[in-house]
Amino acid sequence: MILMIDTTREHVGKQISEELLYSGGNPTKIELIDTTGMRISHCVGCNYCWLKTPGICAIKDDYEPILKKMARADQVWLISDTHFGFVSYQTKNIVDRVMPLATMYLKIKDGQMRHVMRYDHQPDFGIIYTGEGDQAYLERWCGRTALNFGSSSLGVFSVENRKEAVSCML
Amino acid sequence: MHVVIINGSPRVQKYSNTEKIIASFTKGLSEKGVSFEAYAISNRKSWEMIRDAYIKNEEILIALPLYVECVPGLLLEFLETLPKKDEHTRLSFLLQSGFAEGCQLRCGEEFLSKLPGYLGVRYGGCLVKGDNFGIRVLDEEKQKQVTKPYQAMGELFAEGDGFFREEAKKFTGPEYLSLPMRLLMQFAFKTFQKKIFQKVAASWGCNTPLDYKVLGN
Repeated sequence: MILMIDTTREHVGKQISEELLYSGGNPTKIELIDTTGMRISHCVGCNYCWLKTPGICAIKDDYEPILKKMARADQVWLISDTHFGFVSYQTKNIVDRVMPLATMYLKIKDGQMRHVMRYDHQPDFGIIYTGEGDQAYLERWCGRTALNFGSSSLGVFSVENRKEAVSCML
Repeated sequence: MHVVIINGSPRVQKYSNTEKIIASFTKGLSEKGVSFEAYAISNRKSWEMIRDAYIKNEEILIALPLYVECVPGLLLEFLETLPKKDEHTRLSFLLQSGFAEGCQLRCGEEFLSKLPGYLGVRYGGCLVKGDNFGIRVLDEEKQKQVTKPYQAMGELFAEGDGFFREEAKKFTGPEYLSLPMRLLMQFAFKTFQKKIFQKVAASWGCNTPLDYKVLGN
């Protein structure tokens, strides 16, 4: 399943999902979440999802169904506005709260410490951004983020280059 | 010198590891006769006051935990509300994380090194150190012990060169863990450390296995 999470002010995800369908994407395997109007808090770092209620976030808001979908998705595309060359805080909040998918347990992988993931399946991550994104930095961040969750980066694309992103979804 | 210190952790101050680190760091500042005022962004009600201090002062230090390879979402939100200033203001960072190796914090450090440019201010360097996850679960005496090295960094910062001096760079410790250390840790992770974590969880009232699959397989 391809999951797109759109936090942009211009709702560019709608157009991308339409282009994906037009390019032959399977409509039963594409899901777009536009977070406009949703209540999604930042992660408060309480560690409950690791040490008190393993796998469950203590914050009860509109994030929980998104997390469940992320756990099942093959690809997660973060569609984000940019600030300071980076993703918006709305998108960063969504990524910060992925922690229940990891466990407190640690391991060494490729010479570095990593958390042991809670589930066997991990989604790959990609970014589609609007505005003045720092392409090289976003690529580094997306790669590192995917590495932390035991998966791979799908790449980083400006909204102008969304066709390339769409081709990665087919 | 007078430093405005902003705790950029979203965690409530009482349990904030960054807060404990700041307490030790500011001891070092005081030792050298440097004054400071400290704030925390975890309480949104203080944001207006913090912005005001940011605008009125020229020596700013943001201390923060690494959240998924970069700054926590709440700090990002706060940063988006800051007005542009000029190069008379110097912005430095103290970046800390749970993972132990220096290499784990470099992606976050890169963002922080570029951030002052976006805000129009001067970069004062970034003090980088991992292996801080456990601070929260230690008793007060042990907390003081493990955060003690930050006091020397406060003294160094008081000398006015930000975090560009060699001592600050060395403070990070090893960039990667040595092979014997990795093997030792791997062994610990597979054996007694799980038990330690489960014990900590039990003290929080949790009896569920920490790797429980809430959503099934």
